Amino acid sequence: MPLLEVENLTKRFGGLTAVNNVSFHVDEGDIVGLIGPNGAGKTTLFNLITGFLEPDSGTVRFKSEDITGLGPHKIVNKGIARTFQVVRPFRHLPAIANVIVACVSPRASKKLEWLKSPERKALDMLELVGLSEMMFESAGNLAHGDLKRLEMARALATEPDLLLLDEPFSGLNPIETDYLTKSIQRLHLDGYTMVIVEHKLHELMKLVRRVIVLHYGEKIAEGSPKEISLNKKVIEVYMGKGAT
Amino acid sequence: MVGTFLKRVYSSFATKVLDVPPRLLAFLFFLLLLFIPMAKPDSYTLLILTIAYIYALFAASWDLLVGRSGQVSLGHALFFGVAAYLSAFLSKFHGFPIWATIPLSMLFCALVAVLIGVPCLRVKGPYLTLVTLAFPLILFVIIFSLPSPVGGEGGIALPPRFFPREFFMERGFSLSEAVYLQTLAEYYLILVSLFVSSIILYRVANSKTGIVLVSILDDESASKACGINVTKYKLLAFAVSALFAGLAGGLYAHSFGAQGAVAPEAVLGLTTSFYPVIMTIFGGIGTIYGPIVGAFTLWTLMEFFRVAAELRALIYISIIIIFIVKWPTGVAKFVVEKLNDLAKEREIDERKKKK
Repeated sequence: MPLLEVENLTKRFGGLTAVNNVSFHVDEGDIVGLIGPNGAGKTTLFNLITGFLEPDSGTVRFKSEDITGLGPHKIVNKGIARTFQVVRPFRHLPAIANVIVACVSPRASKKLEWLKSPERKALDMLELVGLSEMMFESAGNLAHGDLKRLEMARALATEPDLLLLDEPFSGLNPIETDYLTKSIQRLHLDGYTMVIVEHKLHELMKLVRRVIVLHYGEKIAEGSPKEISLNKKVIEVYMGKGAT
Repeated sequence: MVGTFLKRVYSSFATKVLDVPPRLLAFLFFLLLLFIPMAKPDSYTLLILTIAYIYALFAASWDLLVGRSGQVSLGHALFFGVAAYLSAFLSKFHGFPIWATIPLSMLFCALVAVLIGVPCLRVKGPYLTLVTLAFPLILFVIIFSLPSPVGGEGGIALPPRFFPREFFMERGFSLSEAVYLQTLAEYYLILVSLFVSSIILYRVANSKTGIVLVSILDDESASKACGINVTKYKLLAFAVSALFAGLAGGLYAHSFGAQGAVAPEAVLGLTTSFYPVIMTIFGGIGTIYGPIVGAFTLWTLMEFFRVAAELRALIYISIIIIFIVKWPTGVAKFVVEKLNDLAKEREIDERKKKK
């Protein structure tokens, strides 16, 4: 039973078809990479799944329940959390309050352990991503790498069953990249299902078990990292014709 | 020898004084206001202060909505006006006691806030601001066109006051004493209302709900991605804000309004909508104590400059401009942040000394 099923999803912006008839599924415990050149429709696909955009046609099913066209907050409360490509912290709030916002959402408060306050849980989440020392620092003063981790803590605090990460490695230095790779691996071991959009293929291929390639809104390939790296069509898309 | 001793005494004193938390400062300020009538001011001064408290409450309620959730409303007079009218109308023409009409009109205001909030909150930013601006003006025109005892230019004349004159005269006070006591009793009633409401507003603003509201102000999409029902929280902010704006309106109707009339221009006019904006920005937006300080300072200043009647508006505006340019975050916010910074610095110094 797949956790997430996307069927024939299409989204047009005027004359441009950003996502064209894309279907795929994600199994429970799976870790899937979503790649493609700039403008391939990866972020649009995320926005369609998480309800930030409404598809023109096609369906999204989560735990075999149709969630197409639901509002973003409803989908989060069904158990799909996401991070943003460009970090979107609450700049006026301290780091811990950023996470508290996610901890008071209906799903998170329902899943709150007995006798545990949202504040305590937010602190645990910050500890998980290694930000607990910065808890009272205003998010507006945090460095980019820390904000990426904060975004991760916020997504985890909503108690997701499926985690959609939009370019988690962008703008990170090698040490932070290494740290994040380990965090994602640990989350995977903890049983989180993840879909990761990423341009840094080197890091991504080490992490994922399955890769989906988008090009001009269409799915052109799907398979294990090894298969994908040998796929002629994919190499053509990335390197240009004649590269093979 | 003596010099160093004095220095030590001074520094320990300075430490103690600067350690006074803003909360205690606020409490002392209220205590001071409680004792103002001891100086036996005339009823005019008392009235000016009373109105300042009403506007402080009104501005604080605006601050909860705008300073926290970022939904800029320039039509807050709607709630002030609706409550003032409803309370005056029910008590004057239907004989309801004031103690019932004010809570009733507060609840009605919250209901109105939700009703107009549902369509209004579909638009964002400057568009929302413009839409909210329209509502008090629409109601203004409606009331203006109603027949005389209820509507018209004069509005509702002489609604009942909180404490009728007879209440004091039956207890053996002379007429002039009774008139003064009426004002004095209203002064205390409204001061206590302000005190209680501002504590509630402050607690709401700094609760987890307040945090969620700030998250909406910062980034609505990210807030949604955290699983927050943004519309619900915005409506909640609207409703709570309207509830307290309604209280301010109700208090106005039976104190200052009751000395003349609850007139559409005074309670629904553009100036009434803009007062909380000016006062809040002057004192410090998003703080709850900011608008209270702002209302108190600006309203009393405005009255003080009556000595120079022609120049009053000019002086008033100049002061506002100078303060806003000098302290753009607001006067009260600036002071509190400065105190906090000093406290932090001293803490660090002391830690260094111990090492």
